[in-house]
Amino acid sequence: MPLTYDTLLVERRGVVGWLEFNRTAARNAMNARMMHELEDAWHALDADPEVRVIVNTGAGAAFQTGVDVGQMSRDRDALREQSRRTRDFELRFTAWQNGVAKPVIAAVNGLCAGGGLHFVADADVVIAASDAEFLDPHVSVGQASVYETIALAKKSPMESVLRMAFTGRYERMSAGRAYQLGIVSEVVDPPGRLRAVAVELAERIARRPPGELAAAKRALWNALERTP
Amino acid sequence: MTYPELDTLKLERRGPVGWLLNNRPDQLNAMSAHMRDEFEIAWRALDADPEVRVIVHTGEGRAFQTGVDVNEIATDGEGMQRYRDSVENFDFHFTAWHNEVWKPVITAVNGICAGGGFHWIADSDIVIAASDAQFFDPHVSIGQVVSIEAIGLMKRMPVEAVMRMAFVGRHERMSAQRAYELGMISEVVDPPDRLRDAAQALAEKIARNSPSAMAATKRALWGALELGLTDACRAGAQELVSMWGHPDQEEGPRAFAEKRDPQWQPLERGSDG
Repeated sequence: MPLTYDTLLVERRGVVGWLEFNRTAARNAMNARMMHELEDAWHALDADPEVRVIVNTGAGAAFQTGVDVGQMSRDRDALREQSRRTRDFELRFTAWQNGVAKPVIAAVNGLCAGGGLHFVADADVVIAASDAEFLDPHVSVGQASVYETIALAKKSPMESVLRMAFTGRYERMSAGRAYQLGIVSEVVDPPGRLRAVAVELAERIARRPPGELAAAKRALWNALERTP
Repeated sequence: MTYPELDTLKLERRGPVGWLLNNRPDQLNAMSAHMRDEFEIAWRALDADPEVRVIVHTGEGRAFQTGVDVNEIATDGEGMQRYRDSVENFDFHFTAWHNEVWKPVITAVNGICAGGGFHWIADSDIVIAASDAQFFDPHVSIGQVVSIEAIGLMKRMPVEAVMRMAFVGRHERMSAQRAYELGMISEVVDPPDRLRDAAQALAEKIARNSPSAMAATKRALWGALELGLTDACRAGAQELVSMWGHPDQEEGPRAFAEKRDPQWQPLERGSDG
């Protein structure tokens, strides 16, 4: 399993595979390199037989703040490729997009904005630090909000998703409210305990046989395809 | 833009916000056949007004809306037969969704919302309520079937709560606080008389965003209710791509960098598919 990436920290500790965004200076925004590395990292963690559960979190103060628009606009080839993948819905940066079979816990350690919501919507279980905040600034910069809000709306009450999509950068949802709505299932306070709590949860899940977990995951996500 | 004079509804604009007020307070804003016709006129007028970026829908008096006017049904000799064709063909025009309004719509529930009143909760984007608002669905208590509005609600909130309201009928009411907990609404306004100010403030916040990007987002999200996850994303891709090359997509980042409010293009009706 390749453990060295420029934009991610990937490692296994016990039964838990860690996938950590690591562009702290850019609030973990995705540049072309990170998108490429994410695809590789998800597959590596999914393929490692020692890894039973994957925890996805961020280094530094932010969880994930979406595409690094500045960096992408300076890299024309990457922009063209990413535009094509976006248009054709062939994105490969979340677990769901990569067909990961193992349970994935998103541990939201801070700000989760715009494209960062992909990783909340596409995870199986989501927990958050008590000071985490969620917002979707797409429409405030003239962009439509589509994939991440569609997936969120399939998994949580739609009104709150529409409100987040339309208020844009002028309103943030607290971790507490995300918990009430069932977008996250645990708020960790103090925030510094987030990783410890994620490990406990991951180890609890890892007690189930891998085949059983994978079958349950497949069945439940397939249900989102069958029911409008 | 001058709005049409209506008997059962009021239309007005405050800044970028178009207001639609149910105005049959003595009948708890129940919908007569006439009001039903006027709703279509009202939604179309607000949707067509380029000055209106966001629409707020609320009610005059102590009720928001209490469904169809049962007195009219019982006394006018026509009853529900009047609506048979439109119901059988699901050919309605009294909510924003029925009229394909792609501007953001906020419902501000000012009091009782009963039975058919849920149409405007299910068919709007954002819902806020006064702290003394109450929700219940008396259909089965008067021998009527609950159907369309409950189906709409089930698509956007926990199903158990909708089924309970459908079966308990008029013998139980849901509080605004419970509606908030369930994610049926996103804000409880207290004291209740601050509701309109809160709705206007929320609408103005939303009005700062790109009208075209919001319309594309709204089409994608409402379209997703009709499809499974992957198909919804594929369909949504069309909406996403529709903004590429749009002037707002240049203007947004530029205004952000220059620390000023963006100058968005007006929403073009007709070009929106």
